[in-house]
Amino acid sequence: MKTVVVALVSAAIAGIGTVGVSAHHSAIAYDRTADIELMGTVREFQYTNPHSWLYIQVVDKAGQTVDWGFEAEGPSTLLRAGIKVSLLKPGEHVTVKGHPLKDGRPAALLVSVTKADGSVLSTDAALRRGPGGKLLEAP
Amino acid sequence: MHALTLRTAAVVVIVTIATFVPRTAAAQEYEKWYKQSQQQFNDLKQKARGGTRMTWDKLPDWTGIWTHDGGTRFDPKIPNYQPTSAKLTPEYQTKFDKKLADQKQGIEWDHLSYCLPAGFPRWITEPFLREFVVRPEEVWWINEQQSEVRRIYTDGRGHVPEDEAYSTWTGDSIGFWDGDTLVVHTINNKEGQYNRGQPDYSDKVSTVEKIRKVSTDAIEDDITVYDPLSLVEPWHVVNRYVRVKTPNLRINMWSCEENNNVVKTQDGSTQFILKGEAGYKDPSSVITGPGGTQAPK
Repeated sequence: MKTVVVALVSAAIAGIGTVGVSAHHSAIAYDRTADIELMGTVREFQYTNPHSWLYIQVVDKAGQTVDWGFEAEGPSTLLRAGIKVSLLKPGEHVTVKGHPLKDGRPAALLVSVTKADGSVLSTDAALRRGPGGKLLEAP
Repeated sequence: MHALTLRTAAVVVIVTIATFVPRTAAAQEYEKWYKQSQQQFNDLKQKARGGTRMTWDKLPDWTGIWTHDGGTRFDPKIPNYQPTSAKLTPEYQTKFDKKLADQKQGIEWDHLSYCLPAGFPRWITEPFLREFVVRPEEVWWINEQQSEVRRIYTDGRGHVPEDEAYSTWTGDSIGFWDGDTLVVHTINNKEGQYNRGQPDYSDKVSTVEKIRKVSTDAIEDDITVYDPLSLVEPWHVVNRYVRVKTPNLRINMWSCEENNNVVKTQDGSTQFILKGEAGYKDPSSVITGPGGTQAPK
């Protein structure tokens, strides 16, 4: 059965937070002044160095399923933010925020992932939430 | 006897030429700066009366996992992409100005994207996890990124002889202990940049570091950088590494080629090949190699 997903794309959602890509490449290809928010299902979570990539399947306005890639930090940085590889499984419904590529291709710099239970995963500590969107205690 | 006299005369002539023919200005300048860093290191060693004779029971406890504090700044007080606190030579100031201008135009490339190592002294600024392996005769400073190790010899040896030396990614480091402070002199580095949005340095760069644990959860690296080509005066900064307390965290093998789909554009900037696009290297294709390309039959 084909998964039904709804896409929400919005430009310039104010104040969704910032993340850094400080590993092995410039972040110049991303528009860090623009933000997107997409709902979809997890297709693949590449938990890898030098960067991890979260791929989700999104249904666009024309009804076409599009793979969107979200670039994140490598595993050790994600682990320090509590983002374990086991937390994002293929087929899972998520809402993902990020800074899109300037050239319009379907990829973005990951800002946060909201899971179905309301928990929010992010390397930005200010954005992190527990199940039900509860504020987390500082480590 | 006659042949010996001729040989002696030839040696005298060669020594005379070598002594009195002026060397190039660049060579003299390099020697002057190299001597400065060597001099600082020697002065510190003399002040420490040759250094603490280190034994296993005297070694400081630097165990644990650490990470660079304050992002990727070389001078923690100065944000990247801002005017630097380094006093640059005109040539390197011009290069730095151009780098900042290019970045504002959307053009930026980092040699790390070729999966090359950061190089030293940029190595100081790299994020990710660090570990120190401290032995009486040697200290290993491990960086998770690229699985790099700086080897700092504290057994009293000197640098690699000049006629065998060449530029390396982490340089040639010798050191001594002054109590619980590790004093290090590093030469023979490759040219590079302190990080993105920061100035470049030449392969003549050398450093003197004083590394010590300043609290249970912090190790400080007091660094003076010398470089006759990029700096008009030595550059002093203090970097800090803080303890990482995340449970179950390990420093694992770090391969840059595992998932690198970054490419350099024609205008010299940075771009990605996305999954499904031509040339994409799939990280899941471990058997056939990144990209899944199979060898021709």
